[in-house]
Amino acid sequence: MMGHSEKEKPGPMVPTSPPAESGHALETGRREAVLSVLEEDQLVSAKARTRFGRKVLSPGTRILLWGLRVYVLLMFVLITIQVLRALQGGAH
Amino acid sequence: MKATVPRGSIGNGITHEDIDRAADRLAVEQARRTDAQRTLFQRLRPLWLLIGPGILVFIGENDAPSMLSYAATGAKYGIGFFVPFILVTFLAGFVVQEMTVRLGAVTHRGHAELIFDRFGPFWGRFAMVDLVIGYFLTLVTEFIGVRAGLGFFGVPPLIAVGGAMLLVFGVLLSHRYWTWERITLGLAFFNALFVPAALLAHPRWGVIGHALLTWSPLPPGGIFKPDTIMLIMANIGATVTPWMLFFQQSAVVDKGLQARDIKAGRADTMLGTLLAATFGIAALVATAPLLTHGIKADDFQAAQFAQALQPVIGRVGATLFALGIFEAGLLAAMTISTSSAYAFGEVLHMPHSLNQPFWEAWPFYLILLGSAFAAGALVLIPNAPLTYIVLMVNVIAVLAMPPALLFLIILVNDPEIMGSHVNGRWANIGVITVTALLIFAGLAYGIITVFPSLFGG
Repeated sequence: MMGHSEKEKPGPMVPTSPPAESGHALETGRREAVLSVLEEDQLVSAKARTRFGRKVLSPGTRILLWGLRVYVLLMFVLITIQVLRALQGGAH
Repeated sequence: MKATVPRGSIGNGITHEDIDRAADRLAVEQARRTDAQRTLFQRLRPLWLLIGPGILVFIGENDAPSMLSYAATGAKYGIGFFVPFILVTFLAGFVVQEMTVRLGAVTHRGHAELIFDRFGPFWGRFAMVDLVIGYFLTLVTEFIGVRAGLGFFGVPPLIAVGGAMLLVFGVLLSHRYWTWERITLGLAFFNALFVPAALLAHPRWGVIGHALLTWSPLPPGGIFKPDTIMLIMANIGATVTPWMLFFQQSAVVDKGLQARDIKAGRADTMLGTLLAATFGIAALVATAPLLTHGIKADDFQAAQFAQALQPVIGRVGATLFALGIFEAGLLAAMTISTSSAYAFGEVLHMPHSLNQPFWEAWPFYLILLGSAFAAGALVLIPNAPLTYIVLMVNVIAVLAMPPALLFLIILVNDPEIMGSHVNGRWANIGVITVTALLIFAGLAYGIITVFPSLFGG
């Protein structure tokens, strides 16, 4: 399963193709092998089950977020004006 | 507050994606083990394994419209103010992108996912609207670059664009992040084609050195002229754009970087910064002879730059320039389409990894390929206003950047998710300065657009 050729050294277990064993023992072996190199919250199942909670935004932060949102909307209006002027001027 | 998963409670087993990522991590762990005598190659191997997202994001940002912005700058103003200016914009980009490395390595979440989680769907959707508009327009310009770059060689648009789409699809076939990353990194180094093109222009090194040290000569009439402001905005947009934040953080997560890899991630980002700055400045230097030869290049596209350069820097130089534009468009088409798929996958809580095969993550791949297909198709429409899209897309990127940076600043200063890896004082000074300068540039653009006569327009 390794993506690179490496001289084998003692260390974390290598996830390998499974021999014929019971499903539970196989599953446990794989989990241990993967968790020996990955952090728990890097696992797909962990990410699916856990979320970061909502941050409490201060009034100042909300004002900044809204202010920049209005800024972007105004700028998009200006861009539209610029594009229309250019198209009328014959840009292609 | 971040919830952690106790080891004993992992339920439904390990996925294919986990195993692939673990295999990549295992290679890093083994490379890091110190033995008594290691060769230079063995000492550098951990860094080699960990680089990727930083180089790809910066060289991916040296996309077709960016390289054309640099080329237009060189052709209009020659070697002067813009040489150090471009370098400074890349350093500003480093300040910003380094934070996405820390965010991804510590939280193991993509940027879009973090925004939705921490700010809620209301603000998350605003961020996504900016992103989708920017993504799609930028993707269109990449295929414009592909078409124009190969147009120099007489390749018909349908074959150029269709071939590029096949390549975007082809690199996904391995369904391994590592393989996709290494192939695109290999492609990224063709961005260096602008360097020999610049050398063939026989630049005067003293002039380049003088420009770097003194920021002169300034553009005629100063920098507060409408044309100059547009190029300033385009050059800024060539180095700091919203999609870069989302791409690098998602790539760091997909690659499996951890907090102890932050130093390597930083080195990767700095390497990307310096390489991309060098190649961008090279594009400017390559077209500077057009100014001295009195060739007006205001409306030039890639193929026209290459054709105009041919009598000046020779057929080889012109060929290198055209190939560079093609590479710039192709690489960015790959990275930007992947970035958009990452973002949608994160916010819709769908599988979103290049380590997953098509049948496990078909929505992710559908968005990736569908966005590339739609952008490519638009480029093939006769009489589509492609020139203006190319010029405006970097301006749009600059204008959409401040809100994206505000989300980034808040996230990277959040001790609940970052722990001890929150921003220090200097990082905050840096990113707030960059944000303020972008807002200032946007306001200058707005004033010039509404009151062009104020600045001689």
